[in-house]
Amino acid sequence: MAEVTEKAISVTDVKIRYRVFKKISLLKTILAPHKYKKTELFEAVKGVTFEVPKGQILGIVGKNGSGKSTLLKAIAGIFSPDEGVIDLHGHSVSLLSIGVGFVNKLSGRENIYLSGMLLGFSREQIDEKLDEIIEFSELGDFIDRPVKTYSSGMYSKLAFSITAILETEIMLIDEVLSVGDAKFKKKSYEKMKSLITNADRTVVIVSHSSETLRKLCDTILWLHEGEVKMQGSCDEVLPKYEEFMS
Amino acid sequence: MGRFIKDFKKFFNYIVFSSKAELKSEVADSFLSWLWWFLDPLLYMLVYSFIAVVVFKSNVPYFPVFVFLGLNTWTFFQKTVKAGVKLVSSKKMIVTKVYIPKYMFIFEKIGVYGFKMIVSNLLVVITMIGYHVPLTWKALWIIPISLVLVTVTFGVTTIVMHFGVFVEDLLNVITVILQLGFYLSGIFYSIEPIGEKIVGRVPAPFYEYLIKLNPMALLITDLRRVLLYNENPHWVMMCVWFFVGVVLSFVGTTIIYKFENSYVKVI
Repeated sequence: MAEVTEKAISVTDVKIRYRVFKKISLLKTILAPHKYKKTELFEAVKGVTFEVPKGQILGIVGKNGSGKSTLLKAIAGIFSPDEGVIDLHGHSVSLLSIGVGFVNKLSGRENIYLSGMLLGFSREQIDEKLDEIIEFSELGDFIDRPVKTYSSGMYSKLAFSITAILETEIMLIDEVLSVGDAKFKKKSYEKMKSLITNADRTVVIVSHSSETLRKLCDTILWLHEGEVKMQGSCDEVLPKYEEFMS
Repeated sequence: MGRFIKDFKKFFNYIVFSSKAELKSEVADSFLSWLWWFLDPLLYMLVYSFIAVVVFKSNVPYFPVFVFLGLNTWTFFQKTVKAGVKLVSSKKMIVTKVYIPKYMFIFEKIGVYGFKMIVSNLLVVITMIGYHVPLTWKALWIIPISLVLVTVTFGVTTIVMHFGVFVEDLLNVITVILQLGFYLSGIFYSIEPIGEKIVGRVPAPFYEYLIKLNPMALLITDLRRVLLYNENPHWVMMCVWFFVGVVLSFVGTTIIYKFENSYVKVI
């Protein structure tokens, strides 16, 4: 790969806290006000700094609850960090996930538009990609039937096709998706691989499986209890991670 | 403010498309469910006619049109505000997966209930023709009145939506307040006297306060004034409430921008 120093993602000293207070109830606040005094804070990400150059594939590993998904959501802009800065340098971003805002009573075709618009695409852009999405999803005539009549496999095929074909410059993947039957699984894996390895695209993958990450990623970030434990190439980090986890 | 306009432009297509989608999915179940958009106000009008004419001996002219105007306007406001309370958690699927300014959901609801209001207002047109209500240029006032209605509704809903995320029993409180609002907005009775013959149901100095302080009472009264009784609206109060609506919307969207990224952590 050519030496490009252009940054796609810069994460600087990011801290994300969850306020562990349940919802307030007006009635309970009046009747039992003392119960609502305590607001525990839980810090999921405790000051993480890293950069991803454009075109690179970063894998994030870590045990459950180490803050991987939280960090990914923060990069996707779903919620903002409590401290620190995440700069995407103006790139478009999407979190590859299943079934964003599907309306069950509407047809698959209409749901493609809905999801696409939610991801920030214009109608024209979706029009352009519509046939490709429908073809990739292998739904055939079902595309004009309500989504509620779909089997769960068909549902996830459609969802995958939408996010995979409406591409953004930065893609965030929470667990490499394997959906549908064996044939579609292989196809979606190939598609994802071709998406990921596109030289212009920056990708962040969160996964438990060091095998998948070894196959796909350039560098690995190991998060442990909200902090960076290690960062480096696959060969440096993954063996130590495996050793740690076993 | 700049951000609001930019985001609104960006998501405008989504608002329109998802409003249509919601209306469509309502109709998708049974082909005739759109008939209920007419039947609902029609049946309620009959109920209120019975109460007002038979029980309270009302003699308001064009009574069915009078009720339709009040009911359709109120339903729009009431449904939007009520939907606002649980709006963020009802959109959990979206909120946890992509970023969207959360007040866009309010615009979506305004689209849905606004469309229904327009459809049910066909009843107003039909009954007005039936009663040969003389229409004057004053009917054009419905445009600014609708603008005030949408602004106030949006403003109130932004605030309600924000607190609805954190306060779990807000819906109970809002439901009661809305019920009170319903009775205080003169849906099936006239708050102020109409012409010289018909007395209002609210005694002398109080009806003026009620109309000034309750925006829904003001809007509904003025809609009737301009459409049925060839009178001018309270345009000064209209301006005041438009201003209040704008301020509420401004405060509401600012709060939402500030806190919306923690909504995900609560729901």
